Order: sequence, then C-alpha cells, then structure tokens
Amino acid sequence: MVSSMDEKVVAVIMVGGPTKGTRFRPLSLNIPKPLFPIAGQPMVHHPISACKRIPNLAQIYLVGFYEEREFALYVSAISNELKVPVRYLREDKPHGSAGGLYHFRNLIMEDDPSHIFLLNCDVCCSFPLPEMLEAHRKYGGIGTLLVIKVSPESASQFGELVADPVTNELLHYTEKPETFVSDRINCGVYVFTPDIFTAIRDVSSQTKDTGKSATLRRVSSVEALQPATRNSTDFVRLDQDILSPLAGKKQLYTYETMDFWEQIKSPGMSLRCSELYLSQFRLTSPQVLASGDGTKSAIVTGDVFIHPSAKVHPTAKIGPNVSISANARVGPGVRLISCIILDDVEIMENAVVTNAIVGWKSSIGRWSRAEGVYNSKLGVTILGDSVAVEDEVVVTSSIVLPNKTLNVSVQDEIIL
Amino acid sequence: MKALILVGGFGTRLRPLTLSLPKPLVDFANKPMILHQIEALKAVGVDEVVLTVNYQAEVMLNFLKDVEAKLEIKITCSRETEPMGTAGPLALARDKLVDGSGEPFFVLNSDVISEYPFKEMIEFHKAHGGEASIMVTKVDEPSKYGVVVMEETTGKVEKFVEKPKLYVGNKINAGIYLLNPSVVDKIELRPTSIEKETFPKIAAAQGLYAMVLPGFWMDIGQPRDYITGLRLYLDSLRKKCPAKLTTGPDIVGNVLVDETAKIGEGCLIGPDVAIGPGCVVESGVRLSRCTVMPGARIKKHACVSSSIIGWHSTVGQWARIENMTILGEDVHVRDEIYSNGGVVLPHKEIKSNILMPGIVM
Repeated sequence: MVSSMDEKVVAVIMVGGPTKGTRFRPLSLNIPKPLFPIAGQPMVHHPISACKRIPNLAQIYLVGFYEEREFALYVSAISNELKVPVRYLREDKPHGSAGGLYHFRNLIMEDDPSHIFLLNCDVCCSFPLPEMLEAHRKYGGIGTLLVIKVSPESASQFGELVADPVTNELLHYTEKPETFVSDRINCGVYVFTPDIFTAIRDVSSQTKDTGKSATLRRVSSVEALQPATRNSTDFVRLDQDILSPLAGKKQLYTYETMDFWEQIKSPGMSLRCSELYLSQFRLTSPQVLASGDGTKSAIVTGDVFIHPSAKVHPTAKIGPNVSISANARVGPGVRLISCIILDDVEIMENAVVTNAIVGWKSSIGRWSRAEGVYNSKLGVTILGDSVAVEDEVVVTSSIVLPNKTLNVSVQDEIIL
Repeated sequence: MKALILVGGFGTRLRPLTLSLPKPLVDFANKPMILHQIEALKAVGVDEVVLTVNYQAEVMLNFLKDVEAKLEIKITCSRETEPMGTAGPLALARDKLVDGSGEPFFVLNSDVISEYPFKEMIEFHKAHGGEASIMVTKVDEPSKYGVVVMEETTGKVEKFVEKPKLYVGNKINAGIYLLNPSVVDKIELRPTSIEKETFPKIAAAQGLYAMVLPGFWMDIGQPRDYITGLRLYLDSLRKKCPAKLTTGPDIVGNVLVDETAKIGEGCLIGPDVAIGPGCVVESGVRLSRCTVMPGARIKKHACVSSSIIGWHSTVGQWARIENMTILGEDVHVRDEIYSNGGVVLPHKEIKSNILMPGIVM
C-alpha cells in the first residue's frame, strides 16, 4: 500500500479576470474581485488557507486572466505568511474551466501530485478539503465533487446533480436546468486524480475529430465569452463537457457538506459571506475576533473583525457582523452594524453605518447614516473609494462611484 | 506667451466616459477636448501651456507628448496634491507663469468650448490697460450661474453675483481669462475661488474688464451639454470652415466624419453627428445628434439619436438607441435591442431592452 505520506497534493484556485464579473462593480473598479476583503482577509485568502489544511500540500496555483502585476504583491506576501508556495498563472486566452486546468497541466504535475484540488475563488464555504480527500481515496474514482442541498427554488441557478445515496457516485449532472432535477448542487470545489487530464484531452480531441462543438448549452455568466473561442478545440468546460458525460460511469463521486455555502457574485453577497466567515472564526480561531465592553475599548457585540492598526473610539458600538480594515478611524458614538469598512476610512462622531460597504479612504460625516436594505432594488449601500458623505446626510440603498461627495440625502440611486 | 488650463479632478459628471480616459482626453468633434483649446492657443502665439491636474497626470502627459511634437508647443503639468479651487492652481504654477517678461497669460477652464477669440481678447486687454480681462457670455437663465455685473460700454466689471434671485444681468463668467502676472501675487497658495476672492479684489481696484464672447459657448462637462455643444460647434464650423464638414447624398445638416471612418450604403446621417477615426457605420443606418467615438461599429439598419457611443462599442442590427443613451468603452448592444436613456459602464453586453433611463453597471 502506498503510504499517503509520499503522496503530494496540488491545489488550483480559479480566480477569473477583469472583464468578467461586472456584477461586482463598483468595488471591482478599484481592485480585482479575488482581492476584495471578506471578514478582514482578501476573498482568495479563505480558500488558500483552507488548502493549507490538506496534508502534504506541495503547491497552490491561482489561475486567471488578471495582469500578473495585480497579484504579484499578494502572492509573495501570502506565500511568506502561510509558508506554502503560492503562484499566479495567467491564462493567455479563454480555455474554459477545465481547459484552463489542462493548459497548465505540466506545471501542476511537476510535483508529481497524486491528487489535484480545483476550487473557485468566489465560493464561500467551510472547505472540508481533508475530509473530501479521505472520501475520494475511498471511492477510488477520478474525481469527487463537493455538493450541498439547497432549496428547490434556488437550485436552478446552479449545476444540479443526482448522487447514489449508498455509494455516493455521481449519477447525473446538468447545468442550470429549466425544470427541476434535484436539490443537490455543485459547490465548485473538486478533487481529482491526474486521470482528469486524460479525460479533458479526450473531450477536446473528440471535438477535433468529429468537428462538432461541445454540447450547446446556455453558458453560465462565468463562461460568457466571445463566440469565436467557444468553438476552438482547446476550450473545455468542466460542467458540460466533463461532469455531465462522465456521470453514471463510476468515475465521479460526491461529498456532501452540511455547512454553509454561498457564491460571492455581488457586493451584497460579500457582506453576507463576511458574516459567515466571521462566525466560522468564532469556532476555529476566536482570537482573531474583537471584543470589548466600552471601558478601555469599544463595545463589541457579535462577530467583529478589527484590524490591529484601526482606531475605534471606546464610546462606539460595533457589531454584529462588522469588518474594519487597516488604518480606519471610527469616532465617538458611532454605531456600526453588518458592514465592511475598508482601509483608511474615517467615520465621524455619532454616525451610523448598517448593511453597507464603505470604500477605501471614504469619509462618513457626523450624524450621517449609510444604510442598505437587502431586498430593495439596489440592496446594500456601497460607497466606492474616496467618497465623502457630509454631515447629517442619509444614503439609503444606493451605490456611489469613487471620488464623489454627497451633500444631500439619496435613496435607491446610483451616483456615477 | 503662456497659458494655464484648469483641468482639475475626476470628471465624474462625464462618467461613464471618464472611467476610460481623463476628461480632457475624451473626444469632442473627433478631437480630444483639450486639443481644441491647445490648437487655438497655439494659433495666437502661445508657446507654453501648463495643465493643472490632480488626477491621472501621467496618462495625460503621455498623450500630450505627441501633441507637443506635432504642434511645436511646450506642455507641462502642475500637480495639485489637494483640490486648489479655481484660483489656487495659478499660485501653484507661479514659477511657470511669471517669467519676468510682464506678458499676460491666458487661463482656460478645460470644460469650455467656444470659438476661442483669443486674438480679439489680446487686443481688448491691451486697449483697456487693466490688470485682468474675462470673457462673459449671455445666457437665458442667469440665476443658474455666477452673473458678472459690468458697464455696458467699457466692459468694466462692477461685481460678481452668485446665483442671483432677482435679475441683475444676463452675462455669466465664460471661464476664459487673460491676466497680467501681477494677478498671481494676489492669490494665496491655498484652495481659493477666483470668482469669490481674486476677481472681486481686482474689480474693486477698477482693474477687471469683461468682453462679451462672440459666437457660441458651452460647458461640455456633462453628457446633455456635450450633445448640445456638438450642435453649436458644428454650426460654427459651417460658418467658418464649411469645407471641414462632410457632404454627400446620405448626409443631412452638419456632420463631421473622420477620413478613416467607413459609411455603408443607404444610410441617413445627420444633423449634428460626429463619427470618429476607425468607426464603421454599416448600411441602412440612421444617425442624428450623436457622437460615435473612435473604433465603434454601428451595425445594419440601426437607429441612433441624441446619444454617445463609446470607444470600440458596437450597436447591433436594428437596435434603437436614443434619448441620452451613453455607452461607455467596449459596450456591445445586441441586435434589435432598444435603449431609452441607458447609461452603460464600460465592458458590458446589453442583452435586454432598457425601457427607462437608468444606469447599467
């Protein structure tokens, strides 16, 4: 029996690129979405630190379309901090979610890994990766998918699948079906053996031989690309081209998570996911969270992250579900509920921020109020970078682009 | 002779266009906005232009290197580390403006387009001998602006009244000044307003004179005024230099088409249309009162009016785009789509109708 001590594992995290994901504007106007802070850490940090728990992890690759320089600083900092090699690989052109993995197969196989994890950066979950690996080894297939049960109404937004309740084999898979198939969905987290590369190669050579393009489906927004590339032979999508055809052939298996799962597609979701990760910190690393009772430091209620360099006045009340980033200043009598306060923000006396994201270097005036309403047309309030909200102004369910000054109250508006 | 162009900040009113380029480099009538001003200044003998900026100075300087070479004029940037208002930038750029020659220098607001009658302004300035000259323009609704109260015959300025509630006059500050170097001594190096602090001082000393701007005037800092401004500009071009306008069987009214643009058959273009370099207008297209930025493509049978189509965007076949629709850079409107006043940020695809004016992010 091969000792699992010798078996190395490589993780690949798909991070996307700048012209996709316009749903994350205006926050993505200033920063690549994977680097946007969720619960005090860049979005991609959460899957990366989950990977660290995998035994014998040799390397983490981030794969995407952003310019190398956008990730250069982050990648070297995180490699140092977590003591695991992280490297950013830029795709030269769209290859599809499986094609991208295949494109870098030589690099991925350099460490001769026995298993390869594939994760999507904008997935928010508990990433039970060591447990998935255990289960995958027992199943003995070429891949195992993380799956979760959702409400039947919401299932059609995702890839729906059917699994054998005894063997956990993936029996059927279909992406965003119009009619109800199943309430189990694909979480976007996978573990494969190197045989996956053979499977991908077979799909693209099949396309070459028959000259037929891969199954015509409605493409997900993540894969909306120019028509020209959809027909090229090295464009292979994981869902439609690999998972669907291989289902029911004793090659693919499922591992169900009972924890939380969300996709971070919009700024409003980043607030919700921040809440989920903060409550996870409460269980796994409570020392990261802030506490206080109003005597020496501000009153903290619920799960709150405050960066060590941020200054919060003792008369402020913070929480639940608040993240305050580096060098932010929170003045006397301020109330923060369910919000993300980014670097260098200044919040002045007696202001209130709730259900909002306040962008880098913005300022919130005295007695002013930034408030979001989840189910309204625009949802949570988002202030881009360097936005100034003047004293006593109320901003409700609005989105304000960078470098604006608000001197009158607004509601349900986008301010360009 | 020197000139200062107040460029200032972020150009947020002209978003989404200014999300792709700093405002002075946004094309107007097929030429970057600031180039209209620089060319007019060069024509009266200005040899150095100072741009006061607090945003994206590098992008501008890069672009302007070519202009420097082609026009043989020196262009420099004076960087504001904080917004300096309308007078502060002059104090900031003192070293560049005050060269000991005693010659007056021009100051222009970068958003303003007009016929730039700089030669007449120089003569006016010499004639009255005062310290400062400003251009004023007549408007219909003076109380929206700062009104300049002046003696009709001499043009001597008595005072400025900001947004007057009762009628005091119908001439407003057009944002074009010709100043003696001594004016800079009167401006402290801090955020200052030229209308509220500097000019009133000079007017009290009987040194400020106003000249009524001949021809058109427009502040094109926002989309609605940009479109009106194009109409005024093309009108003026028809009077001064009609050869520059495009003519042809498919053209009606004042139309400017860059020589590298292609227009198909059976189109009807105009009035008041500007089509930029590298644009493609396919057959059967109707364009009126609109600007098509460089590299954009309008597909067959489409109809565009009162709108701005951003760089490298496409308008699909049979699409109808109207009522102040502004497409940012690289926006693609699918075939048969209707947009009624959609304001679309860069790098988007429009797959469904925009029935009411609104922002698409």
